Amino acid sequence: MSRTPTSIPRDDFLIIGYGNTLRSDDGAGPRLAQAVAAMNYAGVRALVCPLLTPELADPVSQTRVALFVDAAVDAPHEVRLRKLEPAHSAQIMAHAADPRTILALARDVFGRAPKAWWLTIPAVKFDFGDRLSPEAQQGFASALERIQRLCRHKLQAEPSRLAWNLSRPGPPCQPTMRPCHEPRKVQKFQSV
Amino acid sequence: MMSKRIVIEPVTRIEGHAKISIFLDNEGNVSDAEFHVVEFRGFEKFCEGRPYSEMPGITQRICGICPVSHTLASAKAGDAIMAVNIPPAANKLRRLMNLGQLVQSHALSFFLLSAPDFLLGWDTPPAQRNVFGLIASNTDLARAGIRLRQFGQEVIEILGGKKIHPAWAVPGGVRNPLAEEGRVRIRAWLPECFATTKLALDLFQKTMETHQREIQIYGNFPSLFLGLVTPDGTWEHHDGNLRFIDSSGSIIADQLDPRKYDEFISESVQGSSYLKSPYYTPLGFPDGMYRVGPLARLNVCERMGVPQADIELKNFKSMGRGAVTSSFLYHYARLIEILAALEYIELSMDDPDLLSEDLRADAGINSLRGVGVSEAPRGTLFHDYTVDRDGLLEKVNLIVATGQNNLAMNQTVAQIARHYVRGHAIPEPLLNRVEHGIRCFDPCLSCSTHAAGRMSLHIRLIGPNGAVLNEALRD
Repeated sequence: MSRTPTSIPRDDFLIIGYGNTLRSDDGAGPRLAQAVAAMNYAGVRALVCPLLTPELADPVSQTRVALFVDAAVDAPHEVRLRKLEPAHSAQIMAHAADPRTILALARDVFGRAPKAWWLTIPAVKFDFGDRLSPEAQQGFASALERIQRLCRHKLQAEPSRLAWNLSRPGPPCQPTMRPCHEPRKVQKFQSV
Repeated sequence: MMSKRIVIEPVTRIEGHAKISIFLDNEGNVSDAEFHVVEFRGFEKFCEGRPYSEMPGITQRICGICPVSHTLASAKAGDAIMAVNIPPAANKLRRLMNLGQLVQSHALSFFLLSAPDFLLGWDTPPAQRNVFGLIASNTDLARAGIRLRQFGQEVIEILGGKKIHPAWAVPGGVRNPLAEEGRVRIRAWLPECFATTKLALDLFQKTMETHQREIQIYGNFPSLFLGLVTPDGTWEHHDGNLRFIDSSGSIIADQLDPRKYDEFISESVQGSSYLKSPYYTPLGFPDGMYRVGPLARLNVCERMGVPQADIELKNFKSMGRGAVTSSFLYHYARLIEILAALEYIELSMDDPDLLSEDLRADAGINSLRGVGVSEAPRGTLFHDYTVDRDGLLEKVNLIVATGQNNLAMNQTVAQIARHYVRGHAIPEPLLNRVEHGIRCFDPCLSCSTHAAGRMSLHIRLIGPNGAVLNEALRD
């Protein structure tokens, strides 16, 4: 089947911040993506999403580097960057949709999975609210500063080499069916 | 009579939002089934005290799959409280967004959630019976399906600024028109969407030929059907009036004012579920059971109003003696609605009103009650607000599609179970088919039924004394 060119331009660097902005620290990812988008770096595109959905595989397949940004409770004191590899999962439309699944869809359906990383911001509070906790604010500032450095260097290096100290890498993601942020309180939906 | 009960719990792999109980009589025959929603959300209660103008923003947070449906129904309820006729351009733009919503939601349901079941085979291991199995089997179809959904999401984003939870529809109208750039993008994408829909319709025609058994036993029973229609009986998705038909296809109530829904729809509450069970009041509970959604909308209308979809509608209607009663054919109805939505979107692209800047009517509180009704992808959606003189909400009632289909889903599960439950055995085919029987309705319990491939199932066969006679667990 021929492909109609999508309206989405090819990007050097795609940042996808996802989470619920009305669940306090869960909004860290979307806020970070919004902040990056406001800086208008050439070649950098930022998407804000409440949750990961399958059609994201299309723009992901068209970028050189993808960075998924999420709040997480498994690293409460530091911003973590983990390399992501595509992995199949049955979860494509649920609360715990996994960025590795999006990468797998990008590879299997659209023919290409980019290099990708998963950036997690420490999160401790998931109550109703539109403000970040002090811990998440600190992580947010740290993550934003590092992404700015990355963008200023015109994306010539991989994120892990430029913006993060390789002597202290986060543990690699395990290709399991476990949700990305297993312990965290996830948003709920009502039937429609 | 003493009875036994099979419990399927949870039907989600995440948080146990729902479970299924199958009741057996002493002979081991299935006597009934219940689809329980065990999660409490409480939107109707905690919205009390909020300004009505906030409701389009608040209620769309009910759901990440179909927020557009809630924001549109809510905005319409707000229009009624202001007692305004919104500008024609605003209504056309709302309709355009609702069409985008129909496309994206139906595409998700058909291509990503349901197709793996009937294209890969009911008894394919669940590890392969998901979207990745579909990709391995038919990559082009999977890609086309994802892009069709992407198109619907793009329409929503082009109008509302973002794909999910767009802060765009407001009481009195909408915030922004369609920009010319957006119109160009939509137009450019339409040919691919038509091709994809044609591909899916051809595929489903073959599926129906090979799935006669499923058509017969997946929720094939008499019931009423409800949906919006225009004054001349044409398919309608946002305005119009309500029509009830019965399974013979006879119209039993027509051109009912949706704002007076409580004169003909009542809600039953069962202790076993947080999901309310609405019914047609004149027939009482449970005889007044009705179905909503694509199957119902196509049953109640006389024409789609656009040529390609009208051809398909004729074929659809030929499948019933009166109304089409098999819930398996919800899938076919979804595809026809996608086709109709694309045709209507294409037609609307030539309408200069979509670029108009006259988009909002303004007024104070002119009515202390407002009802907004729209067709969500899964069925008719009612938002009913009562406010005080300051516009603060005193009472909220939401009637959602999955609730209206609740009784029909119970019957569907019971009908499938009757074909597969023998004695105390819990056969694997039962699990696979009950999953799909629920998926026919595409109930938006988000993580449960939108978990592709399979649902986590826990079935327990419980004897009259409460002892577990048999148990099957699948993560």
